[in-house]
Amino acid sequence: MASESVARAVAEEAGRWGSMKQTGVSLRYMMEFGSRPTERNLLLSAQFLRKELPIRIARRALELESLPFGLSNKPAILKVRDWYLESFRDIRYFPDVRSRNDELAFTQMIKMIKVRHNNVVPTMALGVQQLKKEQCRARRIPSGFEEIHEFLDRFYMSRIGIRMLIGQHVALHDPDPEPGVIGLINTKLSPIQVAQVASEDARSICLREYGSAPDINIYGDPTFTFPYVSSHLHLMLFELVKNSLRAVQERYMNSDKDVPPVRIIVADGAEDVTIKVSDEGGGIPRSGLPRIFTYLYSTAKNPPDIDGPSEGVTMAGYGYGLPISRLYARYFGGDMQIISMEGYGTDAYLHLSRLGDSEEPLP
Amino acid sequence: MASEPVARAVAEEVARWGGMRQTGLSLRYMMEFGARPTERNLLLAAQFLHKELSIRIARRAQDLDTLPFGLSTKPAILKVRDWYLNSFRDIRYFPEVRNQDDELAFTEMIKMIRLRHNNVVPTMALGVQQLKKDLGGTKAFPPGIDVIHQFLDRFYMSRIGIRMLIGQHVALHDPDPEPGVIGLINTRLSPMLVAQLASEDARAICMREYGSAPDVNIYGDPDFTFPYVTPHLHLMMFELVKNSLRAVQERYMNSDKHAPPVRIIVADGAEDVTIKISDEGGGIPRSGLSRIFTYLYSTAENPPDLDGHNEGVTMAGYGYGIPISRLYARYFGGDLQIISMEGYGTDAYLHLSRLGDSEEPLL
Repeated sequence: MASESVARAVAEEAGRWGSMKQTGVSLRYMMEFGSRPTERNLLLSAQFLRKELPIRIARRALELESLPFGLSNKPAILKVRDWYLESFRDIRYFPDVRSRNDELAFTQMIKMIKVRHNNVVPTMALGVQQLKKEQCRARRIPSGFEEIHEFLDRFYMSRIGIRMLIGQHVALHDPDPEPGVIGLINTKLSPIQVAQVASEDARSICLREYGSAPDINIYGDPTFTFPYVSSHLHLMLFELVKNSLRAVQERYMNSDKDVPPVRIIVADGAEDVTIKVSDEGGGIPRSGLPRIFTYLYSTAKNPPDIDGPSEGVTMAGYGYGLPISRLYARYFGGDMQIISMEGYGTDAYLHLSRLGDSEEPLP
Repeated sequence: MASEPVARAVAEEVARWGGMRQTGLSLRYMMEFGARPTERNLLLAAQFLHKELSIRIARRAQDLDTLPFGLSTKPAILKVRDWYLNSFRDIRYFPEVRNQDDELAFTEMIKMIRLRHNNVVPTMALGVQQLKKDLGGTKAFPPGIDVIHQFLDRFYMSRIGIRMLIGQHVALHDPDPEPGVIGLINTRLSPMLVAQLASEDARAICMREYGSAPDVNIYGDPDFTFPYVTPHLHLMMFELVKNSLRAVQERYMNSDKHAPPVRIIVADGAEDVTIKISDEGGGIPRSGLSRIFTYLYSTAENPPDLDGHNEGVTMAGYGYGIPISRLYARYFGGDLQIISMEGYGTDAYLHLSRLGDSEEPLL
């Protein structure tokens, strides 16, 4: 714990850096730059990150301190804010990166930062829960939670960007990358293949929970590939297929009728790759649709083991899957739309920019 | 042509009435009221319309005088404004409606008003064309021109409402209505049946234009009915199916492959009836999607025969079919969404409120 004067100095630095302009990078740029991971380029990249990361981290730290409705005072939020301040300190007080050794040490340092922040999402969720509980006890009718929702969208989008920049830099140090892979980017990603893997993962969760799982049919050109981050696509497809499987399973569990398969269509256009996940799980009423994209109405399960399981599992368990999946889609210039036909089923559309020219959104 | 002081007096009346508050009705209210078309009720309805139509017509006449970018001075727009002024005068100077004779005469008068306004849409479209030419074409559009698009949305929505009120009142005088029909509202409308008819009409147009037409498959409960205005639903479905047929036809015309059918799914939920029209016609790029809902960028065909065709035919011919269909959908609290998968096809979703509780949107 820093002493008073140190804490004040850090706060001033954070205030200064938090208002500097952020610099966005596009997928295409990351690919082109990362295709030649020479010592010199890694040095340049580290020097860029040494300036860019503190700006982004400080900005979030400042926001965490000025949330409405007293959210900033909730224990879980204070914890996250401390993580951001510590990480800011780690980067700001890291000396100039001038040599290869500096660069390797810098890379280790930002790797540690990424690990420190692994559980941000469930911890923020806990903070929101703490606020809701307090509001309910005080019998206050929550209004203006829109503001909190918009904040969380910005906050999580920024986190995706920070982790992408760190992850990409770290991965470029891999001495023996798979062919076609540049850092975290697979230049020859097959969406059909990711759909198959995500579907198998989702089906096994469904099997575990219900004892059976509907079929999944995947349509599209199996030879089509495009550059994208596999883990992002897997996360989004897994979330959508999981939701579809659950809806169909719940609808047909106690019925004699044939269980209709979930259908995935992969379309490749000139501008976009579009993936549609369709189910006949009974749909969602139009009035209930906006709710599925909010953070505030999800029913969080038991408080998370904050020092425990990895991000992947706990994220899915908070009903945060859809809003965060949409952020991932938008991160590289895409989008996610969900249309439902009450009484029939739901169609989810994942639009992914094929050109990769979109700069990161920097809220 | 009115003389100066008369014109000024009318202008003052228009300003007065145009500033009064409009009163919206819901489908359900129209049904309940119209279920007992007694002389007394028709009298009450006429007295209501005497005031309400004056307000709505005056408001539009005012709007037409104050359009940006010089649109108000285009010859075609002036023509429409004169129609609105004439209609305002006809209603305002119609004496109080106190008995059945008055009421019948009033009904004749508003019937004439509706006839007078039959060609408003193509005439407004011509006015927009005149503006485009003056500005030097689409590329020379000044910034902020989108405000015209918002005006047209309000204007056409209001027109739908005025014509619904008039049409409903006139139809309630039918001495021998079909069973289940209240004015223009069919309390037992079968969406499957309308889908079949609209599809046949659309296929006939496609046949005429191309010599062949893709199949249209319709799925849903053939026994399901709900209260709605048949010509509204027919117009919307006809437009959507027509577009799907054209897309598929253009894509498969010169190919050996069999043209995939257009598929219509009718779903009945508790809140909504949702109708999806799906095609595999190759889709629209995401960047081009918003354009299909605009009035400013559509390519108008030959200038309309202004004293000729009825509204239905000319409406469709302006590339206005989709934005206007969406207005019809929203009029009774529904919506129209179009999602496309570039390289594959397009899905159009028509959401219709099943409860009929939505008040007319009054802008």
